[in-house]
Amino acid sequence: MAEHEAEFYVGYLPRAPSTLARRTRLFVAMLLGLALALAAALVMAQQGFGPGVFEYGTEREFRGVIEAEPYPVLAVERPGEGHSRYLLSAFGKHGALPLVEAFVGRAVILRGTLAYREGLTMIEVAEGSVKLDPDALQSSARPRDDGQDLGQVTLIGEIVDSKCYLGVMKPGNTKAHRDCAARCISGGIPPVLMTRDQDGNASYTLLVGAQGESVNAAVLDLVAEPIEVQGRLRRMGNLLAISADPASYRRLP
Amino acid sequence: MSVGYRAVGWNRQKKLYDGSLLGGIALYLALFVTLALALFSEATLETILLRALGTLAFLLLHVVLSIGPLARLDPRFLPWLYNRRHLGVATFGVGLAHGVFALVQFHALGDENPLVSVLASNTRFTSISSFPFQQLGLFALLVLFLMAATSHDFWLRNLTAPVWKALHMLVYAAYGALVLHVALGVLQTETHPLYGVLLGLGVSWILALHLVSGWRERARDRELAAGRDGFVDVCAVAEIPEKRARVATLSGERVAVFKHEGRISVLSNLCQHQNGPLGEGRIIDGLVTCPWHGYQYKPACGRSPEPFTERVPTFRARVVKGRVLVDPRPLPAGTHVEPAPIEAGEALHG
Ligand code: FES
Repeated sequence: MAEHEAEFYVGYLPRAPSTLARRTRLFVAMLLGLALALAAALVMAQQGFGPGVFEYGTEREFRGVIEAEPYPVLAVERPGEGHSRYLLSAFGKHGALPLVEAFVGRAVILRGTLAYREGLTMIEVAEGSVKLDPDALQSSARPRDDGQDLGQVTLIGEIVDSKCYLGVMKPGNTKAHRDCAARCISGGIPPVLMTRDQDGNASYTLLVGAQGESVNAAVLDLVAEPIEVQGRLRRMGNLLAISADPASYRRLP
Repeated sequence: MSVGYRAVGWNRQKKLYDGSLLGGIALYLALFVTLALALFSEATLETILLRALGTLAFLLLHVVLSIGPLARLDPRFLPWLYNRRHLGVATFGVGLAHGVFALVQFHALGDENPLVSVLASNTRFTSISSFPFQQLGLFALLVLFLMAATSHDFWLRNLTAPVWKALHMLVYAAYGALVLHVALGVLQTETHPLYGVLLGLGVSWILALHLVSGWRERARDRELAAGRDGFVDVCAVAEIPEKRARVATLSGERVAVFKHEGRISVLSNLCQHQNGPLGEGRIIDGLVTCPWHGYQYKPACGRSPEPFTERVPTFRARVVKGRVLVDPRPLPAGTHVEPAPIEAGEALHG
């Protein structure tokens, strides 16, 4: 019974016995050291956050023509190269349709914040900033080149919401972000199939229904998981879109 | 104790405890965030904070769960136990920050109430890779909230000890839910093997600690046989150090056999506060003092000194030829029993 002949600790007395106090300080220091080492290890083992950029806090002005089908975009003229299409969203997890509905097919000026990643660009449109462009000839504002049919294809990838994944959140894909992606797509952010080639380069294909319509509500249950989509691939300027009935998407094991 | 609770207030030790705790939390977060921003320039601050808070809360919960068994295995950990409540509340606070952050980040500013969104946006309960791990985190947070909110002695008294104890056992359900929250959540995204290994180590540590301390208690609980008069030979007087006790199990109940001023007194081993082991305490100023939070009892009658009102059961004892014999039938809590004198010289050749 001679073990722990050490002093006895009573918490409400002002001082702990000295050896016990020393021992406790040592344990506390050890635990703190362990916690800090853990923090460092946990930080360093992260896999990285991807090249997306969201220019948070920076608003720019854009000129172009609004298109709404299947998803709202701003078609911006590139002298000599046709048009670049920027996907549009509103603030937070909301689609841009309510902001641009009244301007479909018209040349506009709008202000917004850019998010971009690997060739795909989105503008978060500032509310109330969309106006008709006084300098443009509205009658000739018709960029809608109906695109190029690339034929029947099978794509394997993951559905991401085109706002977060482009850089608003990191990581903006896979499991941890799944609920957010579903919330965004449900709110009207265009759903995009992200595929990677053997070298890990990503490409992005807008998901549209068999009749070319938007499919937001139909894909919510399939986001952030590996899936296979068979359908007709179309190029519209710099955007790719695959049309297929969402019911035919296949979840991969 | 009861009657207005023991006026502990913010004494020096409590300030030290809370100071180290808050300092440690601040250091951890600061190191995590600065290092992450330095190493990953493309990262977003929100994600870094989310991860810093989440890992810290999980780590703190491991510490909270380790203190009980560690203190049972080694009394040098008792100072950690005294203010464990503060550690628990801090754990809840850090976890809550993580949860609120995640809720705002992933569910707010959308087309649905964020709280509904947490519960409804993923219902794939049959899938492993897509299991709604956020709901597990929410469950754990609710449990930690209940525990933090009821951790004060006020609730212990008003809920009664068994209910309170049962409520606080829920912490293990919360721990299990958090292990799954991590395994089915961030580990599905972050694939470095270190994460899986650390999670495994954490779970094994908690399991092993509880198994070892439980097994030790079981070993101590081996029953002693009663003599013809019903009294049980518990130990030799000489085995008990002065002003301390020896714990024995009689008729399934643990008793604490104290030696003080040449006499023997036997009390139930269970402190009325939170079932702390009185037999691991000491006699201070003539009073049995619990090792956990310092509640005190008079050795002869098992009553706390005025104005406190706690009472523990007492037991009859006598000393024969240097051996302590105890009647295993408990007397009603607070019953006075004349301490058994150790006859002169008995202790010497016990
Ligand atoms: S258990 Fe808290 S003082 Fe005994």
